[in-house]
Amino acid sequence: MKKLQEKSRTHSKHPHITNLMYLPALLLFTVFIVYPFLEGIRIAFTNWNGFSQHYDYVGFKNFIYLFQDKNMYTASWNTIIYGFGSTVFQQILGLSYALLLNRMILGRNFARTFVYLPVLIAPVIMGYMWYFMFQYRYGALNDILAVLGMDPVDWLAKGKRAVGLIVFVNTVQFCGISMVIYLAGLQTIPTMYYEASQIDGANAWKQFINITMPLLRPAFITSITLNLIGGLKLFDAIKAMTNGGPGYASHSLSTLIDYTYFRSQSAGYSATMGILLFAMILLFTLIIQKLSARQEVLL
Amino acid sequence: MKILKTCLLVLFCLVAGTSLFAAGQQDSDTTNLTLMLNFQSTEAVTTAFEEVISDFHSANPSIKIDLISGTSDYEALMKSKMATNDLPDMWSTHGWSVLRYSEYLMPLEDQEWASRLHPAIKPVVTDEKGHIYVLPIDVDMAGVAYNKTVLAKAGVKVETLKTWKDLYGAMDKVKAIGVTPVHIGGKDSWTVGNFFDWAAPAVYITDPKHYSGDDLVAGKFDTAKWELLAGLMKEMNEKGYLNVDNLTSTYSDSARALAVGDAAFTFYGNYVLAEAWTFDPDADLGFFPVPAYYEGDSPSLISGERSTVGIWKDTANVEACKTFLSFLAIPANAAKIAGSNGIPAGLTDAESDTGKLKADYKKWADAPAFPYFDRAFLPSGMWDTMCSTGAGILSESMSTTEAAEKMKEDFNRMYK
Repeated sequence: MKKLQEKSRTHSKHPHITNLMYLPALLLFTVFIVYPFLEGIRIAFTNWNGFSQHYDYVGFKNFIYLFQDKNMYTASWNTIIYGFGSTVFQQILGLSYALLLNRMILGRNFARTFVYLPVLIAPVIMGYMWYFMFQYRYGALNDILAVLGMDPVDWLAKGKRAVGLIVFVNTVQFCGISMVIYLAGLQTIPTMYYEASQIDGANAWKQFINITMPLLRPAFITSITLNLIGGLKLFDAIKAMTNGGPGYASHSLSTLIDYTYFRSQSAGYSATMGILLFAMILLFTLIIQKLSARQEVLL
Repeated sequence: MKILKTCLLVLFCLVAGTSLFAAGQQDSDTTNLTLMLNFQSTEAVTTAFEEVISDFHSANPSIKIDLISGTSDYEALMKSKMATNDLPDMWSTHGWSVLRYSEYLMPLEDQEWASRLHPAIKPVVTDEKGHIYVLPIDVDMAGVAYNKTVLAKAGVKVETLKTWKDLYGAMDKVKAIGVTPVHIGGKDSWTVGNFFDWAAPAVYITDPKHYSGDDLVAGKFDTAKWELLAGLMKEMNEKGYLNVDNLTSTYSDSARALAVGDAAFTFYGNYVLAEAWTFDPDADLGFFPVPAYYEGDSPSLISGERSTVGIWKDTANVEACKTFLSFLAIPANAAKIAGSNGIPAGLTDAESDTGKLKADYKKWADAPAFPYFDRAFLPSGMWDTMCSTGAGILSESMSTTEAAEKMKEDFNRMYK
């Protein structure tokens, strides 16, 4: 104990020694994040195919093409839909489950586990499971339609419907995370507020609007941030369900970057799209940070 | 504590010393080579390579070959290795020896076996300067894969399918018996591009009167001809010749449909037949040359690389690698590996067992063969455009004119 105290005093006298402890983490961050990021920016100005030792610098050619590329606009729009669409539905479902399963009802623990269980499944496996549901031939959904005497539907053949179904799958898989966050939030709200409001004659709706919702604000911010980031970088489910198709209709920026790099052999242009995705996530993160800071002030 | 540290130091020195000694001993006696096989290598192919390598070890005890089987990530792995210029001594090139890998491979046209290359594979593995970068152990000759039982039921004889008009007639007959004429597994977008690789030679290359090969190589793209090609896909889709789920089913679904008789034709290499037989080993399947587009022209086959081995230009073991390639080129060895793929050998003096397709290979032996269209006549990177414009036509989000214009735009952008 005495030795420890002595060491602690040494550190406080020499803060620079303590600061050196950051170096390993900083080194790893530099090697695996900063350096690849800077390399990505450099490659964005080249026509590199992803494997050759020879390539040329092409100035802003990739950036100019970026704004002419219809597929990029489709993928960007889809990325926003995957991000915000999944987030909205996950909040609605997650909060509903949390409100229901916060009550003392029969089989509550089982139901909580049931809702959370899909989170534990790898997204790529979940994507394939749903693909087999939506498949035109041998798909479970079309088998049900056949039993009902209806014609089969090629569920993933239309771009917008495919995007919607991917949002649905992502929502079903990850609404358990929102539920857990909201459950934790609900359990921190003191019951005295509800008791006091009951005395004042508030009904369940008024209690929800005036007590539950305001006091769940921190939980909202956490859940929205997590779901939004997850949705914006959605990759596995798209690869498994549609592989970005039909054509380019359900690509997100992540899958399009992967496709452009490895399939089209356009690493330079792929890096340019990577910069766009970085800018997009940075923008959304800043907006969320700004909003959360304002909420903290309000609270 | 001091004793413990001393013990650890002694132990470390012992281990390091022993390892260095062992390594030194090995280095002085044997040359270690690494051979990477690509993702197309099935268990049978890997076993055939292992057997040949085992024989090679017996004949050349001073050279040891470490065989690494390919995984589905082979292409991405090799691209990373090329980007860092850190490659195995030898590897297989799955159709890309000239366009993708030649920068890293050693020219081998001076080797003895180069004079024995099969005429169908020689142009495929030779670049414009005449360099050959790989030993093609076999040749992937293919046409339109078909289910013989279905065609017999529909009353179609493949020998009569000389032009696309004839093929459409056959598709009508197949459709009339309630079977899907053509299966495309468009969720795997390459399957859509593959259709163009199969159909394009008939429009651009095979007919001397309509030959555009030199123009393409010189950087001139004929959009009118591509519109004809895209029109074939559009027409097949509109006439109901294609499977309804042509945009959402997979390549594996195509193989299954062909095997169980749910589809009559597929536009893939003969590997689809091998895959189909995994669903039904008794399925009666075969292939026939791709029909001509223009009247008066002849049907043709598509030829490409399958099992190939090239040598890294920067390997420190050039002679050992060349010795191994010469051993692979011994007719009996080449025949064994080609036979494991069930396809003809890439050397004129090697005869492989082509298994269930023996009769078909014999029947079409005289059909002219042309290399994969995109690899021989389009700039690198166009494959993706072929796939995406094809999907655009199938999903009706793109007209044939727009598809052809997009092809031209990307052709001009990527042409160097």
